[in-house]
Amino acid sequence: MRHLRQRSVLPGFGLTLGYSLLYLGLIVLIPLASTFLKTTTLSWSEFWAAVSSPRVVASYRLSFGASFLAGLVNCLAGLVVAWVLVRYEFWGKRLVDALVDLPFALPTAVAGIALTTLYARTGWIGAWLEPLGISVAFTPLGVFVALTFIGLPFVVRTVQPVLQDLEPELEEAAASLGANRWQTFRRILLPVLRPALLTGFALAFARALGEYGSVVFISGNMPMKTEITPLLIITKLEQYDYAGATALAAVMLVISFALLLAINLLHWWGSRHHAPA
Amino acid sequence: MSIEVQHVTKRFGAFTALDDVSLKVETGELVALLGPSGSGKTTLLRIIAGLDFPEPGGGQILYHGQDVTDLPASQRKAGFAFQHYALFRHLTVFENVAFGLRVRPRATRPDERAIRQRVGELLGLVQLGPLAQRLPAQLSGGQRQRVSLARALAVEPRVLLLDEPFGALDAKVRKELRRWLRHLHEEIHLTTLFVTHDQEEALELASRVAILREGRIEQVGSPETIYEHPASPFVYDFLGNVNLFRGRIEQGSVRIGGVRFDAGGVIGSPETAALAFVRPHDIRVTRCGKGQSTLPARVVRFHTVGPVAHLDLERLDDRSCVSVQLSKEELQDLSLQVGEVVQVEFRKVRVFSEDYSI
Repeated sequence: MRHLRQRSVLPGFGLTLGYSLLYLGLIVLIPLASTFLKTTTLSWSEFWAAVSSPRVVASYRLSFGASFLAGLVNCLAGLVVAWVLVRYEFWGKRLVDALVDLPFALPTAVAGIALTTLYARTGWIGAWLEPLGISVAFTPLGVFVALTFIGLPFVVRTVQPVLQDLEPELEEAAASLGANRWQTFRRILLPVLRPALLTGFALAFARALGEYGSVVFISGNMPMKTEITPLLIITKLEQYDYAGATALAAVMLVISFALLLAINLLHWWGSRHHAPA
Repeated sequence: MSIEVQHVTKRFGAFTALDDVSLKVETGELVALLGPSGSGKTTLLRIIAGLDFPEPGGGQILYHGQDVTDLPASQRKAGFAFQHYALFRHLTVFENVAFGLRVRPRATRPDERAIRQRVGELLGLVQLGPLAQRLPAQLSGGQRQRVSLARALAVEPRVLLLDEPFGALDAKVRKELRRWLRHLHEEIHLTTLFVTHDQEEALELASRVAILREGRIEQVGSPETIYEHPASPFVYDFLGNVNLFRGRIEQGSVRIGGVRFDAGGVIGSPETAALAFVRPHDIRVTRCGKGQSTLPARVVRFHTVGPVAHLDLERLDDRSCVSVQLSKEELQDLSLQVGEVVQVEFRKVRVFSEDYSI
């Protein structure tokens, strides 16, 4: 056995790996496995009926669609916020930096109520949007707004350190070679930022998928229109339909896992084609 | 393509980086901007490149007589090499060099075949042809700097600006690259301006040297002029390799430690405290002094490097150090002993009154 183990200057490989596996097992795998286990109490036809009813399918569409869009928007907005925080010095920079984390800290229900109040027809923002024919509260748009709100910090916090490490000389070099701002961004900055953006997107997207607290207030929870999947799970739980709830959860888990895996593969593919320095 | 800097002033907050600087670089010249750190040399180079701008109304930059002061870097066509190379780490050597060609507007962009040919030529010029598909991280420091030079040359720049191009390299590679750059310049005759804090590099490489101090140009001239006739105590001091004696100016000669030396022309006011500079190789050491113009000193140590012998002496009167350079043969003829007292004579002294400054 001894010769199979490579000598390394970093001690404690066995201990840390063992601990990591134990921890992941206790915190992540066992609860998830029990979800699947509970689902197996349903027969195939019951399972299929539970996860493919029109109301449930509509909720998938809203949950995944809105989360995906929110992730995309956060990619852009988060990049801009991170850019401003890294590249410029201005009064109140620390304050803005701290504000970014607020969606993390705020209880999601509070965020939901605050957003609903703002965007309702009589709210500060809603009152302005109403004459334009845009209603946010109690529509899918509201779901999207809430998911954007909670996802922002993920992109900012993953992109920020990468931007900090990016020497301004790279942009100056590009400029002195005749590149305009857009070319510099697309050919020099974006390839370096892409992995961090992708990670930020994956985190924001995953967080949005699981979000419940803020959405239920702003969405109005109208069946077929503004119901998200986590809400349906709660609804089923309240009706003591535990197996039905776990069936939905299992479907969400599988899809989420597949999507996150795909993002990781994209990541891996990207890093192979643009080998890191 | 000539470069002209006219009365450029630049401030960073309360700090004045450049104070009314003017300089002209003729077409095809290789000019060094030499100065200690904080003297403003890099700022001046960046302003010429368009990476920084002078104060509003604080001077102009002309390329071949054309005012480019307000043009951004991307429109000046100035090749710029950075001290730390600033290579695009996600692009191969080939793509780094091709970058400037690929970002051209469609109308003037060469086709793929022309780009391949041009990049191939440049990589041949910097002797990196076989490494075209490597990434910057897989290259040594000297190779990276050559890639950055090839990248700057790819856009057929009007002028070449190098910011401490060899600053981050070890001594041997630096020497090689210096020779290579000199050779390259002879081949393509591109107007080149480079920043350095290494006086040896400036004197060896440049056809003219501009010495900066605290945001002003202290002296401009050929390496010979700069070395043989420094215009101020600062230049003497900065070029190094010089002995400084404090004394007094009296009737056209200088008095150091009770001994009078012929000053051969004093710069500054007469009859005051003076700074006298003597190069180590302008000092003669003898056993017994003839005449009165000699200082007694004790031998502290000596060593030879190749044909040159270095001798450290200590003056008997104020115990200050005097360093002397002579040939190995001269040292052998003297057959000195450590601790022995010898007489020091000056072949050439340069005297500035202490209050003198440009």
